[in-house]
Amino acid sequence: MRILFIDNEGGGFADYLDVDRGITVEKFFAEKMPGRKPEDYLIRVNRQPVARDCVLQENDRVTITPLKIEGAAA
Amino acid sequence: MKDIKQLIVIADRIQDALRKLKRSRYTELLSQLTYLEDNLTEIADRSKRLRTSLERGWLSAAGSCCDGINRITNDVSYYLSRFKELSDKPVHEIPKLSAIVEDLRQLQQEFGKVELDKAANTISVVTEPITLQDVYLGPFEIKLDLNRLPELYRSNPYYCIALDPHPAATSEDVTHPHVSNERLCEGEGYPAIRAALEQGRLCDFFTIIRGILNTYSPDSPYVRLDEWDGQACYECGYVTDGENSYFCSFCDQTFCEQCSTCCHSCNETVCNSCSQLCAHCEESTCPNCIEQCPKCKRLYCSSCLEEDLCPNCKEELENENEQHSNQNTTTDEDGSPEQSATTQPEIQHSS
Repeated sequence: MRILFIDNEGGGFADYLDVDRGITVEKFFAEKMPGRKPEDYLIRVNRQPVARDCVLQENDRVTITPLKIEGAAA
Repeated sequence: MKDIKQLIVIADRIQDALRKLKRSRYTELLSQLTYLEDNLTEIADRSKRLRTSLERGWLSAAGSCCDGINRITNDVSYYLSRFKELSDKPVHEIPKLSAIVEDLRQLQQEFGKVELDKAANTISVVTEPITLQDVYLGPFEIKLDLNRLPELYRSNPYYCIALDPHPAATSEDVTHPHVSNERLCEGEGYPAIRAALEQGRLCDFFTIIRGILNTYSPDSPYVRLDEWDGQACYECGYVTDGENSYFCSFCDQTFCEQCSTCCHSCNETVCNSCSQLCAHCEESTCPNCIEQCPKCKRLYCSSCLEEDLCPNCKEELENENEQHSNQNTTTDEDGSPEQSATTQPEIQHSS
């Protein structure tokens, strides 16, 4: 099934992806952000906070935004 | 929570700004292409001159042409990379009004309040009070200027305004380690911020900015957090940053540049109170390198003392010795008895 995935880490990737039916938010995060902790990210499905065992649905909009992003000096 | 009419008004303005941004992307591409065209025309012109120079055996002129072409190719690669950077980006459709309204609703959920200044055409949210490594920086207003959104490819169209400012001691303009003059240095967030704005994902834009404001990157701040409050000079109280404060190891205090000096003998940093001026060379000297002349009791640096005596006393002693020597010679010639030890000059060389 197809979902819209917006990854606000790095380049700000936003595109449609094919994922397995029945995949949970937790598993999707583990696949897309290997080695990262979910608590370090703002995870929204269809603009709403969801539980980690929430099952993704066709055409869902998943946004992952890091809570900590390193700035710099000009 | 704003009602639907208010959200539509804001969404309409955002949509309008996004249309202008889309146009500005092509304007910027055209601008880079124009620079490229001009440079390529210049290369073609110099290439002709190079050919002519070679045909006529003018090697010096040929070298000059090559130098010029070399300089222009540097500009060409810069404009080409700028062009590629922009043209490689996928073109996104401007989001529908309903999608922008949904985004604004999410923004309200994330930040609690969204403000639209109709006159200034800005959208603002306010962060929670921010504290980094126990340094309180206060809440920040993140203000997006919709009028400046089309300038995204040349400058930042938003501001980070400290609402309860606790700026760095050394600069009032620096209200956050990564904010100076209300401008955020985005660091790793740079591409994600641009992508979010280009695609009209306003909520993502504001949450990314909040993420940067909530993070301290010790490798590249305007002012380091461990130097945020600066260091007050022990003498005059002037607050300086770490690079311009000096530690005096004789009194164990920190001083500003004006209240400290450097021992001219050993180069040790010393405060003005602990240092002494050499009575001869008048240079600042630390307590370790200054000594009293045993004859005149004045203070001299170790460089000016010779055999423990200051230059004046040394000269006097030498004159006295010379006089005695002359007197002895005259007495010996007159057949007088030898001078006793008690008539020798009082100052004895310690060495």
